[in-house]
Amino acid sequence: MRNRFRASIVYAIPAYLVLVFLTACAGRTSSGSPQAAAPPDLNGVWSAPFTPDISKTLGHQPPFTPYAAERFKKEDEVDDPLTQCLPIGPARGIQAGIMPFQIVQTPTVTAILFENQHTFRIIHTDGRSHPADVDPTWFGDSIGKWDGDTLVVDTIGLNDRTWLDTAGHEHSDQLHLVERFQKIDTNNIKWTVTFEDPKFYTEPWSITLPITRQNTEIMSYSCEENEKDRVHLRRAKK
Amino acid sequence: MRLILSIALGLAFILLSASAPVLAHHGFVVEFDEKKPITLVGVVTKMEFMNPHIYFYVDVKGKDGKVTNWALEGGPPNVLYRQGWRKDTVKPGDIVTVKGYRARDGSNLASCTTVTFPDGREISAGPGAVSQGGYKK
Repeated sequence: MRNRFRASIVYAIPAYLVLVFLTACAGRTSSGSPQAAAPPDLNGVWSAPFTPDISKTLGHQPPFTPYAAERFKKEDEVDDPLTQCLPIGPARGIQAGIMPFQIVQTPTVTAILFENQHTFRIIHTDGRSHPADVDPTWFGDSIGKWDGDTLVVDTIGLNDRTWLDTAGHEHSDQLHLVERFQKIDTNNIKWTVTFEDPKFYTEPWSITLPITRQNTEIMSYSCEENEKDRVHLRRAKK
Repeated sequence: MRLILSIALGLAFILLSASAPVLAHHGFVVEFDEKKPITLVGVVTKMEFMNPHIYFYVDVKGKDGKVTNWALEGGPPNVLYRQGWRKDTVKPGDIVTVKGYRARDGSNLASCTTVTFPDGREISAGPGAVSQGGYKK
């Protein structure tokens, strides 16, 4: 009887120690810091203020290269890709005023569904890197990672066919976006986007906009359904 | 109490929506002239509650008795829907007074800012002018 009790103690103590060790490991990340809390929940329908001229938010014109400055002088709203019913692009979609967007968040992927043009972004949050060879597309290749309460999204692989705003700030296919979606509270996100494009801008520049939760659902939108305006558009006199 | 709160929130949303800027698929100034406001009174002949902007048509009788059919462009239907519009809010046969701005190309087209019915009800129809959220560079 005593031997059986002694045997159970001999087995129980190491088992207990292993359990304590595993429990401690589970509470730490690989860097040894305490385990981060679950990322904030960004799910919902959101909207940021309509930003037709990004330079007004910035307080001045972005740092144009001579090439970009020359193009901007000649740019006309008639040439806005949206006028042609083309996709809005990743950052401009966030700034689309009262056409809201929906964020659908899972542990490995976060999708942004834009009401405008019914387009969407896919942000991979599974730890992958950008592909070595990216074909430029309307919304590019986005990867995201959590930095505390902030989803940091890195986007490359964008084509040069979208505008950054209605005013006609353009970009090339070398555009690199870094966005920070910082959850402030249940109904508010602070969104900061940094534009880096050596062909159009001499240095990276950023704007910050408040994103607020909307008491609505995203709705259907087809730009081509009954488009009748293009034939009436006139260039501004320049 | 909950009902009153819901109504209050709904009204607040409608008011906010009505005054909020709109991004549709084109800017205001490339199509309409802010210096050419217009008021039209007539009978609605057709409503197209469709993307990317609603269009409706109004027969307007001139001083010479000649009837001209005007096209009126409002905001995107989803934006107007959130303001309380439905596809039959303005329908054929309605007598309306429409305020807006003429198209820059001189055609019988105008951007519609408000629609007023004979009983005095006035409803916002979208961005309409630069001062109401349209964009000017």
